[in-house]
Amino acid sequence: MPASATVEALRAAFPNAVVRDLVQSGDQQVVYIDPGSNAEVLDWLRTDPGERFNLLVDVTAVDYGDGRPLEVVYQLWSIPHRKALRVKCELPLSRLAITSVTALWSAADWLEREVYDLFGIEFRGHPDLRRILMPENYAEGHPLRKDFPLRGRFSRAEQTRRALSQDLEQYYMPEELEGRGAPQIVPADESPNSAPESQGR
Amino acid sequence: MTRRTVDIPVGRGAEMGMDARPAMGPLAPVDVAEPDIGSEEMLINIGPQHPATHGVLRLICELDGETVVSVTPHIGYLHSSFEKLGEYRTYNQIVPLTDRMDYLAPLIYNCAYAMAVEKLMGIEVTERCKVVRVVCLELDRIFSHLLWLGTTAIDVGAFTPFLYAFQERERIYQLHEELTGARITTSATRVGGMMSDLPPGWAEGVREFIDTFPRTLNEIDALLTTNAIHQGRTMNIGAIGPEDAVDCGFTGPNLRASGVDYDVRKDRPYYDYETYDFEVPVGENGDCYDRYLVRMEEMRQSVAILHQALDRLPDGPINVEDPRISLPSKTDCMSDMESMIHHFKLIMDGIDAPAEDCYFSVEGSKGELGMYLVGDGGPKPVRWRIRPPSFVNLSAIAKLAEGHLVADLIMINASLDIVLGEIDR
Amino acid sequence: MGLSEKPAERLPVASSPPGGVLGAGTPTFLTTRLDFVVNWARRNSLWPMPFGTACCAIEMMAAAASNFDLARFGMERMSFSPRQADVLICAGRVPYKLAPVLRRIWDQMPQPKWAVSMGACASSGGVFDVYSMVQGIDTIIPVDVYVPGCPPRPEGLIYGLMMIQEKIRQERLSEHGALRAEDPAAVARARADADEVLALSGPFGNSTRQNRVSGPTGSDASDRPDDRIP
Repeated sequence: MPASATVEALRAAFPNAVVRDLVQSGDQQVVYIDPGSNAEVLDWLRTDPGERFNLLVDVTAVDYGDGRPLEVVYQLWSIPHRKALRVKCELPLSRLAITSVTALWSAADWLEREVYDLFGIEFRGHPDLRRILMPENYAEGHPLRKDFPLRGRFSRAEQTRRALSQDLEQYYMPEELEGRGAPQIVPADESPNSAPESQGR
Repeated sequence: MTRRTVDIPVGRGAEMGMDARPAMGPLAPVDVAEPDIGSEEMLINIGPQHPATHGVLRLICELDGETVVSVTPHIGYLHSSFEKLGEYRTYNQIVPLTDRMDYLAPLIYNCAYAMAVEKLMGIEVTERCKVVRVVCLELDRIFSHLLWLGTTAIDVGAFTPFLYAFQERERIYQLHEELTGARITTSATRVGGMMSDLPPGWAEGVREFIDTFPRTLNEIDALLTTNAIHQGRTMNIGAIGPEDAVDCGFTGPNLRASGVDYDVRKDRPYYDYETYDFEVPVGENGDCYDRYLVRMEEMRQSVAILHQALDRLPDGPINVEDPRISLPSKTDCMSDMESMIHHFKLIMDGIDAPAEDCYFSVEGSKGELGMYLVGDGGPKPVRWRIRPPSFVNLSAIAKLAEGHLVADLIMINASLDIVLGEIDR
Repeated sequence: MGLSEKPAERLPVASSPPGGVLGAGTPTFLTTRLDFVVNWARRNSLWPMPFGTACCAIEMMAAAASNFDLARFGMERMSFSPRQADVLICAGRVPYKLAPVLRRIWDQMPQPKWAVSMGACASSGGVFDVYSMVQGIDTIIPVDVYVPGCPPRPEGLIYGLMMIQEKIRQERLSEHGALRAEDPAAVARARADADEVLALSGPFGNSTRQNRVSGPTGSDASDRPDDRIP
């Protein structure tokens, strides 16, 4: 299946940024672009009158394991032209950083935070890059990476101890509202075995 | 001592215009003396365990008096790592996970996931299966909107619609149970078809439901739509314009309430939705009231689609006849060695999907529900990503709530129709 | 409800002399065991604290709605404030991020208090034997009744609450001191110690062990470490 008109236009506008393109699952157009110029390419796709991909449907990432590069995946939809495009950027494991697109779409804010949280990809220029799903003091790594075990890196006892030693009061602090991130939470210093045997019930 | 003029919007019968909306202008500007007491902002924590947050959402609000200055939502209190778990399960084993993600509309998630796998594998389901899945999708759209209606009504102080809505939901629970044996966790779909064909009399049960359900809907409509309290609590609250709504990634009823006519069923039709006769309701103001109106009308349109789908329900097989994916019949398994080995291989090894990726989306009850699957040629996906509509919708709550009162923040949160199981995954 | 449910505990009623304050033949006093009256009052006016997180919360709402009508058991008043609640109904999955919240809500409830763990996820982690989920809330708070199911039907929840009522009926006031003793040091701590947590939340069934189909894609299943203290 030949590349769609969008890819042709994209190649004409950014001859150096388009790495390759392919069609997946029958009719889904995928284009790989250079991660160094993702913001410019996506901005062009968003604003060009022939493309107008104005709805950022999704931002996610894929880890294939075995040391292969991580892919950042943007799903775009053009409401005026009713067409879809999947844009991918390959990031080598040694350099997991890419420019944020929050300036182009507000929707990217939480989606990029989620990718940062679960894959550890840094989005440069993101206004508030913090963990979003996992606790702020989560110390086991980035769960959706292939080298992360399903049940976590710590034992269940240690996970329970860490969860309960969180100080809930710290989340009320105004620093967090100003986007500076929650203060570092120090785990309780006693050993996991020192918890009382039971509740007396 | 400073003085400022306060506009007090009052809705009264005499002021109602042709569209039954009260005139929102000031009747008599009142000069309110406001003592200069030198206040500072106050932090209020709402949730994660709070009846008005519709789950375990946590909102930290910075307030100036009762006015919201800023909101910081905290999510992840229900993070159950569906996507990680999916990488350890075969394609059919993932189905039971999908309905635990959005427990308000489980069949929509079952169908969306199965459709994405079928798209990835290039399977075309049978005509009967298509219509059955349309029935499932529309039935659960009503199911989800009813829960939204009941709980949102509670948030504005009306308890009766909750009881009415749950009465109707119980009837859909009954239908779920007849179809799958479970009330919420349906797990009804399989790759290439359904768990089983429709039980006898099920279609008649759905028909009886859609014949009588509009009456209850009209009663709730009469209680809320022109109710001055409800209007006062929802009109001009949390309004968002069409450009901003697209910028924030809104989809579904929330986007359409802002006046953008985007519905996956119309724009990227699947399962012959283009041949069904239905309207997509579109709002104008993008406020809580329009979101309410859009969802009310969507339920009526779903009833219309259900009528058409039941009328055209064809006979024939429900599962595809493809030895790669469909189990052989139980009779064959018990009498024929080849079939038994085949059955064993399909159950133990699963179905292989090609090493491609696939994004497939349906119009869920909360917005565009996308499933992104990356296969590697084996029986398990390398990556299973859910494009969560309410996650993206909720991310705009800070923008919507700024400048409103705390009570309105609760209403705005309710009107976005979120489900935390899907936001946190 | 239940004042005369057991013959042995039927209330002995003494009649006053003819022409008592309330008219002839009217009992003016009754005798009973203090245990019985207190337990009768407690078990028929339980205020549940609905700690609903996921699917089970929807079934809990269904139990409170008109078809199942939890109000029949004196529980119509859902107490969203833990300070005014008697029974904690933990309905749904509890991730580690939510664990301190659950623990704090339990600590905030005044004695006497009971806990119901509703559904497979709250009781054992259910299908979610993953990095983010508490494997059973009994590692965090003491649980009185476990309601199985995924999710349990409203009837199941109601049966579980009736078991709480039965448990209350059998309590003795003389034992209340021991039953209700609270250790201030236990506040905000796990109920179970480290060994018990490991024993309660070890992998079981095919959750992670069935490596024929359940190992991670593209790599060997054996690279996942077993539970160990870091």
